[in-house]
Amino acid sequence: MSKTNAVARGSHVGRIWVIARHAFTQLVRMKVFYFLAVFAVIAIASNFFDLPQHEGPESLGVNVLHSIKSWSLGTMTLFSVVLSIVATALLLPKDVEDRTLYTILAKPVPRIDYLAGKLLGVLLLVFVSLALMDALMTAVLQIRTTVVLGQQLGMAQAQGWPADTVESLRRDTLLNGPTWSLQGAVFAVFLRASIMASLALLISTFSTSTLFTAIISFMVYFIGHFQADARAVYLHAGHSGESLAGRMGALLFSLVLPDFQNFNVIDAVIEGQTMPLMVLGKLTLVGLYYAVFFTAASWLVFAEKEF
Amino acid sequence: MLTLALLAFGAARMPFEAGLAEDIQAAGLMPPKMEIGTRDKIGQTSSAVALGGLRTLVATFLNLRAFGFFEEQRWNDVSETYGTIVDLAPRTRYYWETGSWHSAYNAASYYLNDSKLPALRRREAWRAAIFQGRAFLERGIRNNPNDWNLLSSLGFLLADANKFPAFRDPNASFARAAETYHRAWETGKAPGYVRRNEFYALARVTGKESEALSLAHELYTEQRNHVPTVMILLLVLESHENPELDVTARAVEIFGTPEKAYEALASHWQHTREHFPIYGVAGALKSLEKSLAVSPDKSIFNKLLQSPAGPDEWFSH
Repeated sequence: MSKTNAVARGSHVGRIWVIARHAFTQLVRMKVFYFLAVFAVIAIASNFFDLPQHEGPESLGVNVLHSIKSWSLGTMTLFSVVLSIVATALLLPKDVEDRTLYTILAKPVPRIDYLAGKLLGVLLLVFVSLALMDALMTAVLQIRTTVVLGQQLGMAQAQGWPADTVESLRRDTLLNGPTWSLQGAVFAVFLRASIMASLALLISTFSTSTLFTAIISFMVYFIGHFQADARAVYLHAGHSGESLAGRMGALLFSLVLPDFQNFNVIDAVIEGQTMPLMVLGKLTLVGLYYAVFFTAASWLVFAEKEF
Repeated sequence: MLTLALLAFGAARMPFEAGLAEDIQAAGLMPPKMEIGTRDKIGQTSSAVALGGLRTLVATFLNLRAFGFFEEQRWNDVSETYGTIVDLAPRTRYYWETGSWHSAYNAASYYLNDSKLPALRRREAWRAAIFQGRAFLERGIRNNPNDWNLLSSLGFLLADANKFPAFRDPNASFARAAETYHRAWETGKAPGYVRRNEFYALARVTGKESEALSLAHELYTEQRNHVPTVMILLLVLESHENPELDVTARAVEIFGTPEKAYEALASHWQHTREHFPIYGVAGALKSLEKSLAVSPDKSIFNKLLQSPAGPDEWFSH
């Protein structure tokens, strides 16, 4: 008996890992990585949106750095959200269709292990894809930042800027290059995709079709960006005199739907701001909390399901 | 059971998420909510993309569109597009600076030279474009109060010799420029030239000569500030403070030789239209011309003053 099989039989972790690897392979065979070629084109093309500048060395080329970050993180967000929803929505119905699900559940595999494994497989795929895109974005950004900085410093020296001014210019420009905050923003993109994947998993346990799961998940994704507004209406209702029904509606809305507005810190990072580690840590806790809850809720539904 | 779990889960996470939102707000990382007007302007599809957490991406698209408008010299569209862009990405300095630049510099220059319009209308359009650029920068500063670059850009616009004639009271304009540069300097991030620019603006405010002289003395203590404009303004302000001062002797002391002193004073005299003070300059120039035996045809007083002139000349035909 191989070591992997022994692990798979012996522990939850082992079983989950085997199912996750299988789900990952299954998705890779759907040729999702072709998207990386599209991303490479986008990342490189964003280098060419070099619009005219209006001032001295301090503005030279900064727009291109914004453009690279904005296009890259935007593409990552779209890709990760679409992939996490569609891939998760596909997995369960596909296993039923291929009758793989019956084979797995006929064995002593707890249903929670099956669900967690499937989710982990999707997350693994999203993570690997984002890591590859991140590496490409960082490389393009690093090269371009070096070029921009070279041009700026050359112009500053030609204009006879003093050393402290040149240093201030260098610091400002590096903030728009590849920073740890930017890596944090990519991780926040992954966390948001993880929440969507686990939510799609929950929906797919009671959904009747892949399309239904995908549509509902996308709706929740968009509405989730307003959840904080509903929460604010509930929490500050006394100030603006909402009716009891309005307040209860806002409460229900904010209890049921996930809050995605906090993840908009990504925009601030693209704009050159620094994301404190504490904020990233709290976002990670939020992501984990949703993923664990939605997976547990999926299990509640899935455990009762007859096949 | 699931509904109950969902509600309990929601109740448990709500305070944490509300606290996190406050932390993010406090760190200045949360963009303001998108206005309904902005949603209308960018259309349904872009609204959906922006609401899906991709506001900066939509702003990047719009920036490209604005560039197209700029190339076609559709100034109202440029201005409107930048208004939308900064609603989407209010922390990106580039958009504030570029939006203001298009109005105050590109559109204003266009109206300065647009031969299709009568002079009076060109003049009003020129003035309106500069006002619009200024207002845009001021809005940018309200959104990013600690950005020294934006403050410095506003100071530059208000003290720019080609722009300040658009403002009815140049004195107030220079005072505001000095105040803006000072705010930029107080952020602690601005380079040394911002402090000098504050001085250049302050020196042009009638009634603030003593304050300007104090700043000149402060600047002059550092070798890196021994640039011609600081040196000449120090001399001029000292002359204002003490009308009995021997300006010629002091000029030679500051610049080292009578030739260098004459060159610096002559250059300063040539820039009279930029509203720099000239207390004692004419007398010192005459004295130096005499001692250096400058022939009348080469005298600085027989040369034309340098541009810029002013709107009366620009829009005379």
